[in-house]
Amino acid sequence: MFSSSQFEDSSPLAGGGFMSSQLGGSTPSSARIRDMQGLVPATVKQISEASQSGDEKSSFIIDGVDVANVTVVGMVFNKNSRSSDVRFQLDDGTGRIECIRWVTERLDTRDLDALEDGTYVRVNGHLQTFQSKRQLNAFSVRLVTNFDEVTCHYLECIHFHLQNSKVQSKADEAPDLSFSTPVRGASNGHHPASTNDFSMQYNADGLKSFDKLVLNYLQQPSNIDREMGIHVDELSQQLKSPLEKIKDAIEFLEREGLVYSSIDDYHYKAVEGL
Amino acid sequence: MDTSSPAAFVNGGLLCMHVGRKVRTVIQVTRSDAGSVMGKSTDGCQLVVRGSPPAPLTSYVEVIGVAENENSIRAELWTNFGDSFDASNYDQLCQLANGELKHLFL
Repeated sequence: MFSSSQFEDSSPLAGGGFMSSQLGGSTPSSARIRDMQGLVPATVKQISEASQSGDEKSSFIIDGVDVANVTVVGMVFNKNSRSSDVRFQLDDGTGRIECIRWVTERLDTRDLDALEDGTYVRVNGHLQTFQSKRQLNAFSVRLVTNFDEVTCHYLECIHFHLQNSKVQSKADEAPDLSFSTPVRGASNGHHPASTNDFSMQYNADGLKSFDKLVLNYLQQPSNIDREMGIHVDELSQQLKSPLEKIKDAIEFLEREGLVYSSIDDYHYKAVEGL
Repeated sequence: MDTSSPAAFVNGGLLCMHVGRKVRTVIQVTRSDAGSVMGKSTDGCQLVVRGSPPAPLTSYVEVIGVAENENSIRAELWTNFGDSFDASNYDQLCQLANGELKHLFL
């Protein structure tokens, strides 16, 4: 994968001094980190309208959600390569934003050398403000090869927005959008007819929708209260899914530190205080 | 950061709403000449795109430019989108992006 050494490395060598404090130096409490979404799909317009949050002003708020990292798809323009960094403007049709890819080793920017103006790329990066301009500190720049990805990205932006707007204002009627044509190949297990409270939540925080289903079930207050935990068979029955699928999800959630086994290897509980 | 020249997602039917403004759309090329390309929009309308297309052209091409009238665009940017592209997805996106969710884009 792309070297993320400048992301993990909090030494002053990692890019300009102004960024290392945001990434490695000051450590927000673990609870706050978990509140932040992982990699949020956004348009440049949304980013330009986002407000800043917190005293450190190290993150932004989009649709009421704390956002630190975003993923944007657009065209490269005005690429400028220097020894310390490669900069370019990313134009996604809703606006342009400056992206910076810091160079720690020559290898890091081979992917950028070949980029010409007008090339579609996906940039994953950390949103930040510098000299009152918003920028993307890019830790990943990838060529788009299948252009359905472009369509899919905008649909994800819409989805993220709708998901968080609905949470904010339950009183508003959901707009009359027909999602009757499911996005092909974009997700696993699309169940439009499910009547469960926690049916099919797509999340931008790296959890597959099914993992989130399992987690949500375990996070229900009535289940949190059950000291012995929830048996995987019950999960399988309640979520109407094969045991293997439940076990895979549990394994993943356990690795992420979101659930833990309680009285034995078959009973699990959600980690609280997240 | 600059949000001053956004391009509206359009298909054939929506093009008329943005005449004179910057638009973007994907067409399936049916014919290409020296100064223009004819193609089918994602909702099945015939569109004409004027400009200098890249050579070679793939079946699907995205054009970004100014809408001249309800079925013609003067293109500034062309991007080959390949020979397989999900037109119906894109069409749905156009409708969503012009509806209540316009504020995410324009």
